[in-house]
Amino acid sequence: MKFLLAISSSKYSGPTLRAGAMIAQAFDAELNVVYVGAKLKGLQEGPLDLSRENLAKWNIYHPGIEVLKWAFQELKEICPANDELKSAEFNPEHIKEDQNRYKLILPTTKGCKVQLTLREGELIQELRDELQLDDYALTIIGGSQGKRHMAHDLIQYLPSSIFVARGLDLKKKYKLLLLVDDSEATKRSVTFGAEIAKTEHWEVRTLTVSKTKRFGRGYSGAAKKAKAALEKRDIPVEQFFLTGDPVTTFVDFSGDDHIIIMGASTANPLKKLFFGSKPIKTLERSTVPILIVK
Amino acid sequence: MNVYVDILFWIRQKKWLLIALVYGISLHFWVTPPADLNPAAYDALIIISMALILIITEPLPLPAIAIFMLFMQVVLGIDTANNVASYFMNDAVFFIMGSLMLAVAIVSQGLDKRLALGIIKLTGHKTWRIVAGFTAISAILASFIGEHTVAAMMMPVGLTLVRYANKDPRKVAGLTAALLFSIAYGATIGSIGTPSGGGRNVIMMNYWTEFGVGTVSYLEWMKYIYPMVLFQIPFTVMILLWTFKPEQDNLDTAVRKLVVEVARAGKVKAREWMAIVLFALVFFGWVFLSEDYGLGIIALVGVFLYLAFGLVEWSELNRKTNWGVILLFGAAISIGIQMNETGAAQWIANMIISNLSRVIDSPTVLQGSVSVLLTGVMSNILSSSATVAVVGPIVLDLGGDQILIGFATAIASAFGYFTAVAAPACTIIYSSGLVKSKDFLRAGWKMAVLSVLSLLGLALFWWPVLR
Repeated sequence: MKFLLAISSSKYSGPTLRAGAMIAQAFDAELNVVYVGAKLKGLQEGPLDLSRENLAKWNIYHPGIEVLKWAFQELKEICPANDELKSAEFNPEHIKEDQNRYKLILPTTKGCKVQLTLREGELIQELRDELQLDDYALTIIGGSQGKRHMAHDLIQYLPSSIFVARGLDLKKKYKLLLLVDDSEATKRSVTFGAEIAKTEHWEVRTLTVSKTKRFGRGYSGAAKKAKAALEKRDIPVEQFFLTGDPVTTFVDFSGDDHIIIMGASTANPLKKLFFGSKPIKTLERSTVPILIVK
Repeated sequence: MNVYVDILFWIRQKKWLLIALVYGISLHFWVTPPADLNPAAYDALIIISMALILIITEPLPLPAIAIFMLFMQVVLGIDTANNVASYFMNDAVFFIMGSLMLAVAIVSQGLDKRLALGIIKLTGHKTWRIVAGFTAISAILASFIGEHTVAAMMMPVGLTLVRYANKDPRKVAGLTAALLFSIAYGATIGSIGTPSGGGRNVIMMNYWTEFGVGTVSYLEWMKYIYPMVLFQIPFTVMILLWTFKPEQDNLDTAVRKLVVEVARAGKVKAREWMAIVLFALVFFGWVFLSEDYGLGIIALVGVFLYLAFGLVEWSELNRKTNWGVILLFGAAISIGIQMNETGAAQWIANMIISNLSRVIDSPTVLQGSVSVLLTGVMSNILSSSATVAVVGPIVLDLGGDQILIGFATAIASAFGYFTAVAAPACTIIYSSGLVKSKDFLRAGWKMAVLSVLSLLGLALFWWPVLR
């Protein structure tokens, strides 16, 4: 299993990096830490490349490499089990250009397999390109996506599950909030949530929201199945059934001490573009970390 | 379902291509051209405006935009394929190609370490003197070998000094900005000094020849413009020190460390001397032979000599030369010539004159202010060379002395002080991540005032003496 973790800077990405490494360890997944830097216009590329190659001769490396270096130092602390990583030194000369990106593969051992990647360009395009190079199960990204449409673009265009580590504070005791309905994606989100809950010993709650007072068979059946699946793995679960507007209820219920896990919508992409979807609206409105499972 | 997502994503990424296409198709098929504009001129304007949208927003790689400009001239029936091809390759494009390759050849020699030592010997340890030295050396070198070559060579020197002054450059932000901007603005103000200072100067010279305006020699260009370069250097230093206020007055330790690092390179090697001698030959060729052979051909002779003497490998030149930019300038110049041939440039010029003559009485003031304002603004959005390629034919049709208007336009194309995209030297310092967009604005407006006043002084007091 392979996860992709997008970082933006040493100043803001610390919690995302730690959370990502923790989740990757929980799944024994390989982690590709990607920094996407700004790309200057094509007219400037020639002189810029010339300048950068000359700077490298003076041991002044490509912008963005300092962010990878920071991530490398952090990972050494986060993954103490990885002895090879612990003794390794960051050497920019080991960064190789490959398929329009710069890649540094670090020493790997079971439990903390890491690769560092530097890309330049527009965030969604670059993450999508990176995800298409391998079979990634999850993309982990920080929560500073203030731009309009970012929630839609992340969910719609990235071909993997997405964890947005918005406002994540690793010192805080979180509860997992599994949003359960009759969709196909609910099953996968329960499996995902169970794995994290088991490793991190977090409490699990399931929430099923109906627009009317009556909960159909599909909804109650899905909630029952979710409970059974979690209890089968010895994970205690508390279940909630509420009525109201689903997105508003999810956001209100999650408060500031939950991590939301929900399935991605299977609606028509065009419909999602114009009218949104429950995951898109929840991601736009909530302030807590959220995992959307595809 | 994934196919729909892929299509939506393609639309998201290529929206500006689609907008440009809808705009172009609508104008061509559904909008009636103005009565006084012939169809070929109208189509030339459509192509150029579509190209501008594509260059600014970049939904396509630059070579694709260049190819688009070329084939559209034939598809819309503006000219024959052979004529479009002949306009595409000319001495200005040879010069851009040659100067980009010469830059690779020169930078790869490692002469930057010699340069660093030379500057330090000249300036000593005081910060203001180093800033002055960086500005003056960058300006003078850039006027001959081009601003991007100088910026690429000077950047490591500047950044190394900053790094030795403080491990965290953010703690010496004023010093960092002063040093880096002295390279960028120094190179930019110098790039107007001679025709070889920048591709845009040669593009203007090419337009003069193509449009039958006349020819200007290398030395004549210097005679008209170099005083402005020399005049601006001390004021640029003052502006930089006033704006960025370096945290340290003396860079004693940093300079000593830099000297130790540079000294490791040892004595000047034979191949370095050879590289200098070859460039000197190219320079003398530009000064004394360019009227007969063309600046571009001489630049290519220089590239040939660097290759023949084994000072640079073809693989290195091939890898580091931005062929896309060469294609783009070739295509932009060809459409620029079509604008002149079809009368599109004249039509825009007439429109500008008839609209603005109500506001500005004097034709000379109008011609000068339009050329400077249009070029200066567009340089900050597009890039200096691309601006001259596009705006050149229009301003030359504004009337008045076309040589002087051409000089003013070439000079104004270097007024790209406000953004990182205007000049290659500005892009290079911006890419370090140590200067911010607002730094360009902070110092840029002062530089713009200085440059406009200098140009005005040049036009009012110096050019009348020469004409």
